[in-house]
Amino acid sequence: MRRARWLDLAPLVVVVVAGGVGLMLAGAPAARLEPARAWCAPSSARPLGCGEAGVDLLAVVSSAALHAVALAVTVSLGSFAIGTPLGVAAALARGRFERIVERACDLVQAFPTFMLALAVLSAVRVPSRVHIGAVFALTAWAPFARLALAQTRVLRGAAFVEAAVALGRGRLGVLVRHVLPNVLSVVAVQLGSTGAAIVVSEAALAFVGLGPRDGVSLGGVLDQGVAAMLRAPHVLVVGAVAVFATSVAMLTAGRGLVSRQRWR
Amino acid sequence: MRRVAARLSGLRRVSRVVGGRVIESVAVVGALASLVFVALRVLPGDPARLVLGDAAGPADLARVRAALHLDEPLLAQYVRFLRGLSRLDLGDSLRRPGTSAMARVGEALGPTAELALVAVMMGAVAGVLAAVAASGPWLGTRARAWIDRGLIVAAASPLVAFAPVVTWVLAVRVRVVPLPGDPDAGASGLFFASGLLAIPLAAHVGRIARAALTDIGQATFLTVASAKGAPPLRVWVVHALPAVVGPIVTVVATQLGALLGGAVVLERMFERWGLGTLILEAYATRDLPVLEGAVVAAGLLFVGAQALGAAVHVAIDPRARGDR
Repeated sequence: MRRARWLDLAPLVVVVVAGGVGLMLAGAPAARLEPARAWCAPSSARPLGCGEAGVDLLAVVSSAALHAVALAVTVSLGSFAIGTPLGVAAALARGRFERIVERACDLVQAFPTFMLALAVLSAVRVPSRVHIGAVFALTAWAPFARLALAQTRVLRGAAFVEAAVALGRGRLGVLVRHVLPNVLSVVAVQLGSTGAAIVVSEAALAFVGLGPRDGVSLGGVLDQGVAAMLRAPHVLVVGAVAVFATSVAMLTAGRGLVSRQRWR
Repeated sequence: MRRVAARLSGLRRVSRVVGGRVIESVAVVGALASLVFVALRVLPGDPARLVLGDAAGPADLARVRAALHLDEPLLAQYVRFLRGLSRLDLGDSLRRPGTSAMARVGEALGPTAELALVAVMMGAVAGVLAAVAASGPWLGTRARAWIDRGLIVAAASPLVAFAPVVTWVLAVRVRVVPLPGDPDAGASGLFFASGLLAIPLAAHVGRIARAALTDIGQATFLTVASAKGAPPLRVWVVHALPAVVGPIVTVVATQLGALLGGAVVLERMFERWGLGTLILEAYATRDLPVLEGAVVAAGLLFVGAQALGAAVHVAIDPRARGDR
């Protein structure tokens, strides 16, 4: 277990460190344009080559990957913080509240979220990262609530919880000592897949033209790559590898969190 | 006579399941539409200004406000919106006066439904084939392990990352499929785009079907079928597959939202006309009625397909009918 825990967190660390090193190597802001170098192939001065209007791909991809990780971590932790208490509370309250929360989760999880994001984002002129994060948070809480609800429902009837109550522990004590640790370790599984989904959705939104204002997004790089598929295929490959690496890093990091919980 | 009665009661159960689904579908579409309504009308910012830009004069703003009924109280607007929704009439397109928003959506719905339908069929068939190949006795242990690994990798690969790369390899390097944006792409363009869209779906179907087949792999009814001399292909396809239809239909239904999102990405990439292109166009020009209509249509397509999936499940698997 211990070995797996570090191995699982390694890809995310690698992506973040690579992003930081890439930014330092590039040495210039991601938005700097050099039209003379437009679509130039990778060289020693531009290790990943250039994109549209001569942007340095190394700077853009590093900055975009770091932003994507930050967005994914923030939104998935936020959704975790909203969804988990909601699910636990619903399962403990039982009755109508439990049913309503369950149906709401069904409903939200059934939404075609990407369409929803497109429609909601059209309410602002140019989406910022805060807007994009908020749109994802609109639906991302549901799987956490659902998992927490299901797990708490199992735990509330478990023998060891009954034993703790019989031994005279208060409600809060049982909740904190016995229910929450077991709920958290299960719900944490979702952090990784939610994070990966957010990385991919953010790239997809930027790919279809709903990227953040400054244009620094992995999806933007892919969009440039498709437009210049014949002239400069390296742009497309760089973008695709970056999206893949970042999303897989989030996925495996989620698994790392779980093994850490169990190992304790 | 008794058989007819049994048949009828079966039908009644099917219709009860379908009826429940219809109510749920109406709720989903209503909630989706309301959320879009709220986002466009209630969030800070003037929709009329979003439509016309900052340079618009007061007369133009007043005209757009009147066309969108923005000058009425919010509740009246919402009632009007819901009433229009129930008649599938959300007013005229702002950018093409005289054309109703729903007519434009209807035009765009066909190509997207075609793309998604072909993708669902390809994905389901490919996923089931992979699962049967990985469960049956035909391949060696190592080949079966590779199928399992392939399914995991494919399920974790984001469409937006691999679709451009695959297209570049097949269209530019090998030249077996038309280039993105080729107006004469025709059927091969449709099948290639659907094939890309089908890959993540096939991976999810394959993993779920594989797990379900492993679960029932030791079941007595399969042993009986083998003992009576059925060849492995018959055992797996005729006896085992119908028993795992439930999980397969469920996973297809849960992947439909992602499929619709993927369709938007692919329509944009291949410059195909469809719901996604329409939504992006309506977004760029702030054609609010068309945007609302397109999202509602996407929701309808989505819940319709889910209901269809549930009906197929009930029709194939008698255990799903249940006495509730």
